[in-house]
Amino acid sequence: MSGAPEASPGESRLRRVSPAGVEAARMKAVRRYDILDTPPDGAFDRVAAMAARLFDVPVASVTIVDADRIWFKAIHGLEGVAQIGRDPGLCGSAILRDDALVIPDTLTDPTACTNPLVTGPLGVRFYAAAPIITADGHRLGTVNILDTRPRLITEADTATLADLAAVVLDAMELRLSGLRLLREEQERRKAEEEARARAERDTEAITAFATTLQRTLLPPALPTVPGLELACHYRTDSPRDVGGDFYDVFSLGGQRWAFFLGDVCGKGAEAAAVTSLTRYTLRAAAQHHDDPTEVLDALNSALLLDPSMGSRYCTCVFGTLQPAPDGGFTVTVATGGHPPAFHIQHGDDGAMAVNGIRPRGGMLVGALEGAQFTSHTFHLAPGHGLLLYTDGLTEARLPDGTMLGEEGVAAFLTTRTTPDAGRLIEDTIALITGLPSGTGDDVALLAVSVPLAPATEQTAAASPAHTLATPVAGAARADQER
Amino acid sequence: MTDLTLTTTHTDGHLAALCIGGEIDTQSAPALRKEALDVIAQGHPHLILDLTGITFCDSSGLNALIGIMRCAMAANGSLTLAAVPDRLSRMLDLTGLSTVMPSYPGTEAAMNARRPTTTPEPT
Repeated sequence: MSGAPEASPGESRLRRVSPAGVEAARMKAVRRYDILDTPPDGAFDRVAAMAARLFDVPVASVTIVDADRIWFKAIHGLEGVAQIGRDPGLCGSAILRDDALVIPDTLTDPTACTNPLVTGPLGVRFYAAAPIITADGHRLGTVNILDTRPRLITEADTATLADLAAVVLDAMELRLSGLRLLREEQERRKAEEEARARAERDTEAITAFATTLQRTLLPPALPTVPGLELACHYRTDSPRDVGGDFYDVFSLGGQRWAFFLGDVCGKGAEAAAVTSLTRYTLRAAAQHHDDPTEVLDALNSALLLDPSMGSRYCTCVFGTLQPAPDGGFTVTVATGGHPPAFHIQHGDDGAMAVNGIRPRGGMLVGALEGAQFTSHTFHLAPGHGLLLYTDGLTEARLPDGTMLGEEGVAAFLTTRTTPDAGRLIEDTIALITGLPSGTGDDVALLAVSVPLAPATEQTAAASPAHTLATPVAGAARADQER
Repeated sequence: MTDLTLTTTHTDGHLAALCIGGEIDTQSAPALRKEALDVIAQGHPHLILDLTGITFCDSSGLNALIGIMRCAMAANGSLTLAAVPDRLSRMLDLTGLSTVMPSYPGTEAAMNARRPTTTPEPT
């Protein structure tokens, strides 16, 4: 160590030379207490004051010996001295020994007589110090007393000085354990905060991932179909859950459109995988098969073929829309194990006439080989609406605990004032949210309606095809394209 | 949740009749499936499930029935239902399963209907 003092050859009293290893270990101990350059502390100040009073000396101090300096933790009787050089003779020598160093007259001591405190303005003539020794034997510094005249002290005085050094060590240990507790507490809190922040980041990432995946399982928005009003609603039981409900509306080319809505048995990632397969199979099959029953056949085969599907199956309504001469649409619907779609129109009695579309047969899709599907064709005239839904609606609980059921949905629809798609969805959402328990399941709703022709046919024909409320322009042209 | 109860009431050669009671839901469906598959594996591929005591059955129950039927058919057997409660009956109609899982008012009727297919029909 650069600051370690070398013992003078002629020094008889200081035989214990501090080898570099001992000094390195000592400095490690000093740093362990983390006390150097800390502000004044009452406990240490009191020890210095007590020493000065007990021994009736003008100056007493508590020092910690650093690598290259002697730092005063407390000093009584001298103002404005924070540290001095690590010159041999006084404290610098006192920490090299286990017992107290007593120099009755510094001028007669071969080492001390050269110390700046002795030769300088302070003119120290008497010095006595007890080293502050840790339990593991490191001498950190001293408790010392100084006087400007030579004097003798008794062995009892020396013992008292050693006791004061022990008191200082106790205070330092207390301070250290306090520091450790504080540090541990801070580290624990920091670790907790980091863990919490990490968990939050993970949750955010997972949520973002699930939301992105969920978006791929649902069409982001319904397309604009000339002459049709479309509206939909989708709600998962839990916002983070990827549901098994699905729907879509897409072009078949020309002016033909296809739509579907269904429900995969089960929930979670596995159901989501079936949902995804189902959606893409239906979209692809619809490009190759004009007959909706053939589209469901293709889906049935695809679900049974997929080895990962196991016993997963779905219920589904699949339909096509073909513009009709009156501005309405010819709708062909095939059903696979799904509750009936409802065809809604103004009835003669002022209420809505509601007709369940129930093609015969219509088995679960993907459950059995050779499942039979049949289709039903009807006319969706201007002013008519069609509502498709998943069992989250029919299985919603009424206040009396019973399920709404198909009959309940049909009865609700008869009391609507309009079969417009947007209003049908709004009203149905209001119905569900108005129920005491809401629904415990996912719900998907899809409504299709043909707006009544505007008063001026001419305007309608000229308006852009993207306007939702515009019936398909020129039914004759639609016919030509068939 | 009421526990699912399952009792084998008749065995007759390849034929076995089970009486099921309680709720078939996500929690109990796997047990139903396992018990029924065990009976099939014990040499009774023609299974009759009497559903008189069923108070609840959701889509996982349907799933179990489909699984049992597939397994029975794989063993050259069949699945026949008896005493199907109204609500379950509507579900079977809606899902088209009623066309592949014949049902009868009770176990006796189901067994009588099934027997001729397991033994050579007297002519």
